[in-house]
Amino acid sequence: MTTKDPQSGCNQRLLRGYLEELLSAQQQVQVEQHLCRCQACRTAISDSAADRQWWGNARDYLRGDDWDDDNRTGFSNPDVNRAPFDAIDQHDGSEEDNGAGWPSAVAPSQLVDWLDPTDDPRMLGRFGGYEIVGLIGQGGMGIVLKGFEPALNRYVAIKVLSPLLASSGAARKRFAREAKATAAVLHDNVIPIHRVDESNDLPFLVMPYVPGDSLQKRLDAEGSLDLVAILRIGEQVAAGLAAAHSHGLVHRDIKPANILMERGVERVRLTDFGLARAADDGSLTRTGVIAGTPQYMSPEQARGEAIDARSDLFSLGSVLYTMSTGRLPFRAETPYGILLRIIESRPRPMRELAPALPAWWETLVARLHEKRPEDRLASAAEVAEVLRGCLAHVEQPTAAPLPDVCRVDPRSGSAPRFPAWTRPARYQRAFLALGLLLALAVPAAWIIRWATGQPPTEAVELPPVNSPPALAKKGAKETAGEPKPEASPWDGPATELTRLLEDGSEFESRAHLLWDPPSLTDTTPAISPPPVTPEKEPAR
Amino acid sequence: MSRLPETSNSLLLKVRDPANVDAWREFAAIYRPAVYRLARRQGLQDADAEDLAQRVLVSVADALQTWEKDDNRGTFRAWLLRIARNAIINALTRRPPDAALGGTGVTDQLAAEQATGSPIRDLIEDEHRRAVFRWAAAAVRADLHESTWMAFQLTAVEGRSIEEAAAETGKSIGSVYAARSRVMRRLRAKVMEWEA
Repeated sequence: MTTKDPQSGCNQRLLRGYLEELLSAQQQVQVEQHLCRCQACRTAISDSAADRQWWGNARDYLRGDDWDDDNRTGFSNPDVNRAPFDAIDQHDGSEEDNGAGWPSAVAPSQLVDWLDPTDDPRMLGRFGGYEIVGLIGQGGMGIVLKGFEPALNRYVAIKVLSPLLASSGAARKRFAREAKATAAVLHDNVIPIHRVDESNDLPFLVMPYVPGDSLQKRLDAEGSLDLVAILRIGEQVAAGLAAAHSHGLVHRDIKPANILMERGVERVRLTDFGLARAADDGSLTRTGVIAGTPQYMSPEQARGEAIDARSDLFSLGSVLYTMSTGRLPFRAETPYGILLRIIESRPRPMRELAPALPAWWETLVARLHEKRPEDRLASAAEVAEVLRGCLAHVEQPTAAPLPDVCRVDPRSGSAPRFPAWTRPARYQRAFLALGLLLALAVPAAWIIRWATGQPPTEAVELPPVNSPPALAKKGAKETAGEPKPEASPWDGPATELTRLLEDGSEFESRAHLLWDPPSLTDTTPAISPPPVTPEKEPAR
Repeated sequence: MSRLPETSNSLLLKVRDPANVDAWREFAAIYRPAVYRLARRQGLQDADAEDLAQRVLVSVADALQTWEKDDNRGTFRAWLLRIARNAIINALTRRPPDAALGGTGVTDQLAAEQATGSPIRDLIEDEHRRAVFRWAAAAVRADLHESTWMAFQLTAVEGRSIEEAAAETGKSIGSVYAARSRVMRRLRAKVMEWEA
């Protein structure tokens, strides 16, 4: 260790010990000091750590290049292992993003077990008389398969109640009601139902397979849309909603991912009435579960109150806002924060984000974003009519006057003022907490049942069908007691809720699952080419 | 041609168990970026590459279920390569004709490769190994002092001089040498852990 003779300090054992992290602090300093001078030991420690090829690989592979996905997979991103459902609202408007985590991937593989065998080597199997081509996606209630109907030579989307849920009476009931309700709605802007049936004891419904993308995908790709496109899409969504509302059906989950855009034609179809239920069906809504994607929820949904058709109009307002600006109207770090904003705050004026938008458009969307349902436009039919009028005006400004409701308030020159009905924020938070309590309690019961292998109970409304069991078990551990089958949401663990509200991260990961069970893709036939047919070859 | 590491059997057992989400995450953390980059290298846009990566994961997840049932199928590595390659090629060639591929003749090229086999296979292996390295690096980095990691990053990855790295990290020259070798050793161990 003298400067005169650097070699005298060379000690292979110390170098190895350093690499293996076995040395005392003092010995480590000794090695580092020695390496300041001794070239031989510098080489020795490098070689001892790994050979030349490893060093080369590290250099080549860890260096970033043009092919990296800056958002997610880039090496420099410390979140590389983070699953997307750990963070809601990770980036604007793409809560459907499944990213690297995609924990539900394993569930559909079980699906193959209950498919019937097929003679066609290109097919996965048979189900309910259809040749199954592949898996389209997974939603809150089940699995969506792409099937082929040989007799009619057409492709169909088959929504099958998840096998996990098929054992639950409540889930079956709800699935049947969903199917029945949707089948009753015949409208160009609503995906029709061909058939409702059961096979191998699994209830399923059959819809046409529609090649195209969801509005979500389009927004992801394009950001915001131009006003004409927004009006066309909005008008059709409103028309589809009007048809559903006329059957007493509230969609409850209007969001871009549930708005399907047919390829090549300007036709928009509403889909996934997965959370819809007959508005007058009190028996199951009483549980007060908050169902729906938080970002597009209405204030009354966020508070866990009774909702009606006008709730969908608020959600439609949020969709219009997102299409106009490329951003979600209500954004926050946590689901709780989002709900709070939905209840308490006005979205940032659209024209601050997209100055090219006309003032009357701001006015109109604000009419849908009114906090009190009675302040909104009265019905989806009216919204559709107004949007049609707006479209005519935009296309022929001189010939077609703006609909009256779009008139800009001449005094302010912008959207009307927020009505002064607002309760003190304190109360609102209390309401919100109640809503959350309701939202958590019942799914928590579900999770516990599910994690402990017991069949779900009647009280369950929003089964986290794809929820990762690891989380589920955690939830089971942390949630107090074993809820009785008929447990009221009020029996839920209030202190647990308080803790969760304080601990954002934990709450976030769980709440996201409850509200928006991760799906593979859109729960609707949104993928244009069929999913990859799983490799059959190795099975031979 | 770089070698594709043999995938850890124990991990795959865990992946096949639907209860083990963490294992799946780890698995997806490695395979998904590999497929994504592969797609980008084939000229696909970001959103399309994302989409493709997802579809490949779907088919692999489906296929994992069947793997165990037949022991006479060669190594898992070879099998997975075949799955991934076919899934990628299928996904790329089945794209609708009006979709922009961002390059001409990609489909033809892939179809040709499906017949002959080799270049895309090399690409797949390369990207897989890259993904394993990055996964391992992220894990190693998380366990270390940032300055220790940077001693490695600056010199071994970015090719900066030891002196520069020393100045930037506030370490002595000897300490940079020591730190980067320690990181390398951990990295190698982590990669080999996956291969084991």
